Amino acid sequence: MSSVTANLRGAGPSAGAPKRRFDGVDLQVLWQSIISTVNEQATALQRSAFSPIVREAGDLANGLFDPRGRMVAQAVTGTPGHINSLAMGVVAVLAEHPVESLSPGDVLITNDPYKTCGQLLDVTVMTPVFRGGRLIAFFCSTIHHSDVGGYGIGAGGRDVFEEGLWIPICKLMVAGERNTDVWNFILSNVRTPDHVAGDLHAQMASAAVGAERLQTLCDAWDLDDIDDLADEIIERSEEATRESIRALPAGEHRAEALLDLADGSLVQIQCQVSVDPTAGEILVSYEGSSEASPWGINVVRNYTHAYTTFTVRSMLNPEIPNNHGSLEPIRLAAPEGSIVNAVSPQPCTARHVVGMFLPNALLKALAPLKPSQAMAEGSGAVWTMQVSGSHPDGSPFITAMFTYAGGVGGRATKPGLSACSYPTGVAAVPVEVVEASAPIRFLRKELRVGSGGAGRQPGGEGQTIEFLVDTDREWQLNAVTSRLTAAPQGLDGGEPGAGGRFCVNGEPVTTQARLRLGPTDVVCLDLPGGGGYGPPAEEAIGSDNGGAPD
Amino acid sequence: MADWRLAVDIGGTFTDTVLLDAESGRVAVHKELTTPANPLEAVRRAIGSVLSRAGVTAAEVTAPIVHATTLVTNALVQRRAGRAALVVTQGFADTLLIRDEHRYDMYDLQIEFPDPPIPRERILELDERVNARGEVLSTPAVAELDRIAAELAAAGVEAVGVCFVNSYMNGANERAAGEYLAAALGVPVCLSAEVAPQIREYPRMMTTACNAAAMPVLGTYLDDLERWLAAEGFGGAVLMMLSNGGVVSAAEAARVPIRLVESGPAAGALAGTWYSQRLGEGRLLCFDMGGTTAKACLIEDFEPSLTSSFEIARVYRFKKGSGYPVLVPSVDLVEIGAGGGSLARVDNLGLLRVGPVSAGADPGPASYGRGGTEPAVTDADLLVGYLSAEAFLGGEMPLDVGAARTAAEPLAERLDLNLESLASGIVEVVDQNMAASARMHAVERGVDLRGVTLLAFGGAGPVHACRVAELVESSRVVFPVHASVLSAFGTLVTPVRIDLARSLLRPLTELRSDDTEELLESMRSEGRRVLAGAGVPGERVRFRYGIDVRYRGQGNEITVWLGEGLEWPTTDAETLAAFEAEYKQVYGLTIDDVPAEVVTWRLSAWAPVTGVEPDLAAPAGRDAAPTARRTVRFGRDREPDDVAIYERTGLPAGTRLAGPVIISEAETTVVIRPGWTVEVNADGSLLAQREEAA
Repeated sequence: MSSVTANLRGAGPSAGAPKRRFDGVDLQVLWQSIISTVNEQATALQRSAFSPIVREAGDLANGLFDPRGRMVAQAVTGTPGHINSLAMGVVAVLAEHPVESLSPGDVLITNDPYKTCGQLLDVTVMTPVFRGGRLIAFFCSTIHHSDVGGYGIGAGGRDVFEEGLWIPICKLMVAGERNTDVWNFILSNVRTPDHVAGDLHAQMASAAVGAERLQTLCDAWDLDDIDDLADEIIERSEEATRESIRALPAGEHRAEALLDLADGSLVQIQCQVSVDPTAGEILVSYEGSSEASPWGINVVRNYTHAYTTFTVRSMLNPEIPNNHGSLEPIRLAAPEGSIVNAVSPQPCTARHVVGMFLPNALLKALAPLKPSQAMAEGSGAVWTMQVSGSHPDGSPFITAMFTYAGGVGGRATKPGLSACSYPTGVAAVPVEVVEASAPIRFLRKELRVGSGGAGRQPGGEGQTIEFLVDTDREWQLNAVTSRLTAAPQGLDGGEPGAGGRFCVNGEPVTTQARLRLGPTDVVCLDLPGGGGYGPPAEEAIGSDNGGAPD
Repeated sequence: MADWRLAVDIGGTFTDTVLLDAESGRVAVHKELTTPANPLEAVRRAIGSVLSRAGVTAAEVTAPIVHATTLVTNALVQRRAGRAALVVTQGFADTLLIRDEHRYDMYDLQIEFPDPPIPRERILELDERVNARGEVLSTPAVAELDRIAAELAAAGVEAVGVCFVNSYMNGANERAAGEYLAAALGVPVCLSAEVAPQIREYPRMMTTACNAAAMPVLGTYLDDLERWLAAEGFGGAVLMMLSNGGVVSAAEAARVPIRLVESGPAAGALAGTWYSQRLGEGRLLCFDMGGTTAKACLIEDFEPSLTSSFEIARVYRFKKGSGYPVLVPSVDLVEIGAGGGSLARVDNLGLLRVGPVSAGADPGPASYGRGGTEPAVTDADLLVGYLSAEAFLGGEMPLDVGAARTAAEPLAERLDLNLESLASGIVEVVDQNMAASARMHAVERGVDLRGVTLLAFGGAGPVHACRVAELVESSRVVFPVHASVLSAFGTLVTPVRIDLARSLLRPLTELRSDDTEELLESMRSEGRRVLAGAGVPGERVRFRYGIDVRYRGQGNEITVWLGEGLEWPTTDAETLAAFEAEYKQVYGLTIDDVPAEVVTWRLSAWAPVTGVEPDLAAPAGRDAAPTARRTVRFGRDREPDDVAIYERTGLPAGTRLAGPVIISEAETTVVIRPGWTVEVNADGSLLAQREEAA
């Protein structure tokens, strides 16, 4: 982290120019305009995307950055993982491609998982904005592309090289012209070149519109650059965040949570939260968490940072916009090479399994700091499915990834949400949409009654989904499931929810790898229920043991 | 000879009636307070009053009566809908509870969802299945249907919805089950394949459930209304205004009440359409700012833009995602938490924020003098001089300047600003909020708002419209007359129309075939049938064709309208060209290597209105003279202006005034900013034009 800090301090605004200040009215108007611009461009991206996960789940990030790589404003989009990973990633890109190496019309691209968003499918595109011959900002977006070759979606790649094409940080456009070799490399290595090309174009087009809007704003407010404005936004956000941390009681709180996968492997998350009220800082340390996994569920530091800041801010001060300043006072310690700070070539495509689980542990550690916002453990990551096979005429089919959520934990004053994604805002793909895209047939998709842990506020119910494929041939299922034996725990006396079950023809699946199945095979998913909050009322004890398998 | 046309609009607060003589253009209007317990009461009074005002008898009204209403929305929002049940495919009884598994606010740990309009115990499963290609895998068994009918009869249900998986492809099982249950139970039954024949089981089931729950409410009201109209001797049938601006007979409306969910706003948008045609402006942004919210709706190519889905009855802080999603073709309007009552505050970043929290009607803004202590937009409007303390609401409700100042002072202190600068800041921030929301709404639909003309109405709309126009880079604003009954008025001056949509996936290169022709013919005959119910003879019905198209692999379609006629209007090559032109306009590029496909087929059946020209003329008279002058601040960086105030009723047609100027009327105030001029049209409307950047 030290080299990054040095970089941030090294490239400040030119000395000598008087600093422009903005009062509470002007700043509100300017800030709102910038946030509107990134939101509008994120919406345009989502609407035009080919990648199903982008348009159905809003799996993208879009933001405005200053020339130092500090995030100034960001669109409110679907998943915390992308959003805050991009915040960290831009600095890493600029460390390799400094501002001086860029000219008008250049566009940078990368999917380096360890420097940016934690899996090869997330491709970041950065467009510099020039004004009066000077680079004043970047519009950057990350979207989950439909394909990058390699293993595809799932945890089965043995290293990052097996997982797909690695696009190093390079220029996608040079002075407004396509960098043909780069395009050829990318499009020759993906299964859906039309869709990847279409989505890259959309990323560049949205940045271009954003840049135009920023120029108009600078014209209207007589700004040569956005340096002073960025300082004002970042300083105020940082100060307000520190202020809300100072209001918390000092001290250290620990929590741990256990995640198990279909093959029986266990991931232990240890986290320790230390509040420093003097500095107004929170340190979250994952010291003691499991080593990296041989499966592709390893989380890079940026992604761990993303879910950590997301969780802290959702409890602390969600009303302050996301930017460099509001993230700065939240510090992270994650041991290098562990499951929460993966290094090359540790595989990471299914990193969401662990990443989305982190808030379960962290919320428990944070509960004593803000009891009114406490929430018990829930089912964690959504379960992901991808089915492939062939039609009667021999032509192949492959579905987009589809996801299902279990129950969320009970809350201090409200029951847990049933069959609802947390921490992401991912939506399930409708049954009819999946059935229309491949010969899959669902036998049921219903709440798993009794799976939520009992408590003063019971945990949310999981759900049961059963499906088969109408085919006379072999087909494959690429499934990532979790929380099977280590059930979501209750909080403050609440009981655990029911663990998940992942069966084919009634037999539990015991591998993380792709399954080869046949025409009569029926897949059944029992998603976990959330843990309860607080001891259950007297009469409920014994009559409704939410922790028992059904 | 007079040709009287009557329109009724039941709103949340007022029930409006408008009577128009299509022969002479004479117009009469009336407003009554809505009577929620028995809506017919206010309707009877409002109709009686407008008739007596015009000296017309019921028997003289022979044309169809056009009716807009918020009854359906209010019944669902207030959870007062009927006792309905739902019959669904085995294994899918929890679909309404599982929703789409999405948390609509990622950061908020406390979010909630509404209870479905039909409780789980009245959702029954039936063993049946259709696959995604529309092939029937199993049909409902009679014994099963008997069991369900017995259970529903015992539960005393008033209506039943039927929603099966993949029925958007083939509704045969739904029809069979629906017919059986209707016969067995003797209550109205609706089918998802008819209410909302579109892919995605959750919103289709929610739409069906809402429809079933609304059937008893609307059915009862319409029966009572028709009985009363007949007893009074009215000659015309009743036409109900749908959410998309089309109309249907009362009987048809009772079958699909959910399609009335945005009935009132749709009628308002029709008035916008009418103005857009009069002005020759294909694009118009209807901007309606009231006490708690502002609404914006875009007219494009002389028609309101439509959306195929809508959300009602939001339960958690009015947040998007916290309500019922319904698949109802509706005028596409955005509602913004910005109104005269919106409160200003300073947040923990030291920024001035305005809304969405509102002082409402009680206590209202501080200047109402009813105990409000925080500054609202109306208070700021008063402090900058937009509003007159004495002339507010035609002088019926004087505003208290002192109270407004007292409320604003703490904020000014916190921001280290003087009071005038703060007041200007509040006005600027709320204007920016509205402009940003309108622009975001446009972007979500791939529309560029720049250069659009605004139609300003509502109590606060004319006060703020010019600045909002500047912020969306527009330079024209129209201020209509009869702004307070604009919705009811809109229904009288626009064509009778019904819009139909069907899902059928087809490559864009293979649109012409026997099955697509069969689909279109079934839509044409449904269009004729519905319009016949509205008194339109078959030969006057015209058809317009459209398709929703996407590149294969995309999830969002764009709607392309292709033309009119009794037959499909274009060749496949022309269709492709039309799609590409539209796509390029929305996204700035076309994608050459990916084939395009049609997802939804659209048909609009309509009949033109004959010769209605309402007489709205402005008074003839001498040159207008200002009735007062006052000091007005038009921005934080601008010195105060000494501004002339005119009465709108005293402005003859052709009057031309240069801004800054303020035109006062009973229900609102028209603020013309510096750099703008305003002209009084022959029809009484005001047309403001921005001459240069001020």
